[in-house]
Amino acid sequence: MAAPFSQTRESPMSSKPEQRPNLYALTWRLPIIFWQLIFFVGPVLFMVAMSFFLVKNYRMTEAFEFVNWSRMLTRGFFWDSYWYTLFIATVSTICAMCIAFPAAFTLAFRASEATRRWAIFLLIIPFFTSYLVRTFSWFVILSESGVVNAVLGYVGLGPYTMLNTHFGTLVGYMTLTLPLVVILQTVTMSNIDKNLIEAAHNLGCSPLRTIWQVIIPLSKTGLIIAAIFCFILSFGDFVAPFYLGGSQEPTLPILILDTTKSGQQWPRAAVVAIMMMVTLFAIAFTGIALAYRKGKGAK
Amino acid sequence: MSKPLVVFDKVQKHFGKFVAVKELDFEIREGEFLAIMGPSGCGKTTTLRMLAGLEAPTHGEIRLNERVMNDVPPHERDTPLVWQSLALFPFLTARENVEFGLKMRGVDKAERKERAIKWLDKMGILEFENRHISTLSGGQKQRVALARSLVMEPQILLLDEPLSALDAHLVIRMQAVLTDLQRELGITFVYVTHSQSEAFAMADRVIIMGKGEIGQIGTPKEIYRAPANQFVAEFVGRNNILAGKVKTVDGGTACIATTSGEFTVPSNGVPLVEGLNASFVISADLVHIATKEPSGENKAYCKLISEEFVGSMVTLFLEDAQRQEFKVQMQERELSKFDLHSGDEIWLSWDAQSAHVLNES
Repeated sequence: MAAPFSQTRESPMSSKPEQRPNLYALTWRLPIIFWQLIFFVGPVLFMVAMSFFLVKNYRMTEAFEFVNWSRMLTRGFFWDSYWYTLFIATVSTICAMCIAFPAAFTLAFRASEATRRWAIFLLIIPFFTSYLVRTFSWFVILSESGVVNAVLGYVGLGPYTMLNTHFGTLVGYMTLTLPLVVILQTVTMSNIDKNLIEAAHNLGCSPLRTIWQVIIPLSKTGLIIAAIFCFILSFGDFVAPFYLGGSQEPTLPILILDTTKSGQQWPRAAVVAIMMMVTLFAIAFTGIALAYRKGKGAK
Repeated sequence: MSKPLVVFDKVQKHFGKFVAVKELDFEIREGEFLAIMGPSGCGKTTTLRMLAGLEAPTHGEIRLNERVMNDVPPHERDTPLVWQSLALFPFLTARENVEFGLKMRGVDKAERKERAIKWLDKMGILEFENRHISTLSGGQKQRVALARSLVMEPQILLLDEPLSALDAHLVIRMQAVLTDLQRELGITFVYVTHSQSEAFAMADRVIIMGKGEIGQIGTPKEIYRAPANQFVAEFVGRNNILAGKVKTVDGGTACIATTSGEFTVPSNGVPLVEGLNASFVISADLVHIATKEPSGENKAYCKLISEEFVGSMVTLFLEDAQRQEFKVQMQERELSKFDLHSGDEIWLSWDAQSAHVLNES
């Protein structure tokens, strides 16, 4: 009964499905492809090209010279800035991961479902206002006559200089990254199968040891991704080191700004930007490879 | 041999207002295979978890080797549990999983490896020692989970429905593996399940639980032939339950009048009082069928509603004129002599001694 029906119904359709999904899918994909080409691939290629341009009389002229690269990469101040940025972003990542972990752990394992939902909602609120605005509010708190020093003054301490120091830079980075890192860690850890934690306890693993032996290996992927996010945000951030760190030791984003301002050296700034991108690509790639690595996993 | 290893002394467990376990009073003997069976939500898993220290009793005491365990944290107990979900660590290999508990106990690397290999070999999965958990089959994972618990060489092993995720034929194989292991090692197994066939096939004693209370404790045979009350009788399944009023009591026997007629039952020490309600059960396999009316007592004339084949055994579902349900279990080759069809009417009968009075109220 079904056989003749299905034949007559299928045969005229069978040629079409091969064309239709293609056109349909393409229509939906095109905007994204165009967007990526126009706003990402294009500018990056232009930036690479620009790094070989020359600046004459404060005006950029098209050229193909390696002079910008050799200038930048042989200068001590570039490498100082590079290593400092790498260092401070690493410190920022370690700080954020460590500060966030107890909070995320509590939210994931000790808090109720409702509390967790509210906490995540509250952690999203900081993103409602501009990061720049939030950074400026730290002036009131951290300055020599600010809230923290006033409180410390009562107990006979300080005043301490917190603005325009590495500490200030880190406070800024934490402002930027902590809410996100707490959210990512919480979501990762709350997805852990609770039976595995109980199984560890059952096999003689104390609660503290379970964190290292079971919880961290199980949430490895999420934790590494949180760390990657934190590192990328800190590495590329301009606001914290500029306003709270006082740019005494310029990070690469500050170096880019300085280079473009002084003598319109856009090509040299492009060199710095490309170095940053290459570094971030390498770190993100390694991190993600590590996060999804099958095999022995964390020991 | 029957020294109590574990004692549950008036143990209760409340979750907020919900009472998961009403009051448990029982002993677990050293070296026995005890099954705790009941429908879901009866508190059987909570009972097991309290024994492992994963839940704390709200009231009462749990004693292991005469030591009160209430405040001992789970990681300081020697009560390994085999989880329903197995709860194997996915980031470790099979052998690393087995070594986990030993590592936590501070056993050195060489001994850990040696003992893990011994157990993997015993479970017949040594060839998979370096494989990741995700690459193992259900039965292999099962064996890793067992090895992981047994490598600790505990006095007692807790099992929470460990076979529920396996295919039927694997369940039978693993049942044999478990009973053999238990006999060989001589350690106590506490096995929680909702499956009657698993509990009856493996356990020395069975605890039937319902709504946070113990319905009956006994050997599988006792529970099957002599259920203590209506709940147990209904849960055990293949039973005919008849309810009525006591008509006469005469020494060791009583006559109970039901809507389906009057039946003689042995009173088995149950205090029966004339005129009061009483019910009794007859196991489905102790009921005979006949085409002609049998001469003795204890018979019912029924219509066949349906049949259920399980291999060589058949269960007949019947109903008498008063819509009282009857079940009869028999060999398929026996049944084939009768050539029955749905709607056919037939006589059922049983020996008075086969009936068992329920101890109600």
